[in-house]
Amino acid sequence: MQRRDFFKKLGTAAAVTAVMPAMSFAGDAKPVSPNKMDYNTAIKTITGGKTPKVSKKVKLKVPEIAENGAVVPVTVEVDSPMTESNYVKAIHILTSKNSNARAIDVFLTPANGKAMFSTRIKLGGTQEVAGLVELSNGDFLIASQSVKVTIGGCG
Amino acid sequence: MEKRKSLIKIKPKRYKDGEIVKVSFMVMHPMHTGMGKDKKTKKLIPAKYINSVKFIYNGKEITNMKVWESLSVNPVFTTYMKINGKGKLTVKYTDNTGEVHEKTKKIKPKG
Repeated sequence: MQRRDFFKKLGTAAAVTAVMPAMSFAGDAKPVSPNKMDYNTAIKTITGGKTPKVSKKVKLKVPEIAENGAVVPVTVEVDSPMTESNYVKAIHILTSKNSNARAIDVFLTPANGKAMFSTRIKLGGTQEVAGLVELSNGDFLIASQSVKVTIGGCG
Repeated sequence: MEKRKSLIKIKPKRYKDGEIVKVSFMVMHPMHTGMGKDKKTKKLIPAKYINSVKFIYNGKEITNMKVWESLSVNPVFTTYMKINGKGKLTVKYTDNTGEVHEKTKKIKPKG
C-alpha cells in the first residue's frame, strides 16, 4: 500500500509542476511590444551587417539626466553639405533598453538643406540613446550618450 | 474618428526664396504603446501610435519618417527645409489603426 501511495503523490506533484509555470506566465507576463527588437539586432537590420563608425560629425543632443522619462527631447545634427552627390540619407534614433529599440527612422533628401532632426521620445529607464546616420555613399556613423531617467515613461 | 489638432511651424516667420528654414510639425496624439495599463480599470490600453509621417512640398516628398511607438505623447517632428518658390507644404500622417491626417501650410517667400 505504501508503494501505491507514493506513486499517487508523485503523479499529482508532477501534474502541479507542469501546470504551475504555464499559469504564472499567463498571470504576470509583461505585455510585449509587437515590434519588439533589441538594440544590437536593430543596428544590424538597419546597417545590413556593417559596423557603424563612431564619429564626431554626428552631434547628438540629449539631456544627461531626464527627470521624466515620458518626454525626453532628442536632437541629431550631422555635419553634411546636403548636395545631390553627398547628403545624409537617413537618421535613426535608437534606445538601448526600450522594448522596441527603434524610436524613429527619418529619410532625408537634399531638399532638406540641412541634416538635422529633432523629436521627443519615451524612455523606460536609464539607458543609452543613439543616433545612427546613413550617408549617401553607404557609410554608417553613430553617436551615443547615456541618459539617466528618474521616472520611467513606458507603462 | 476623432479630430486631431495639429500645427506646422516655420522659423523664422519671414523668409526669402532659397533660404533654409526650420519646420516643425506638432500633433495632439495619445501614442499608446499597447503596454500601458489604464489606472482605473487595470486593463491594457490597445496600441495606437503614428507609424508614418511625410513632408510633401509642392508635390515632392522631402522627408519620409517611419515612426515606432517609443515616441512621446503629442510628438513633435522638427527638421530643415530649403524654400524653393511659392507653394504648399503638406504633412501627412497615418497611424497603426488606419487613421489618416493631413495638414497644409502655404509657403510665401518674401523678397
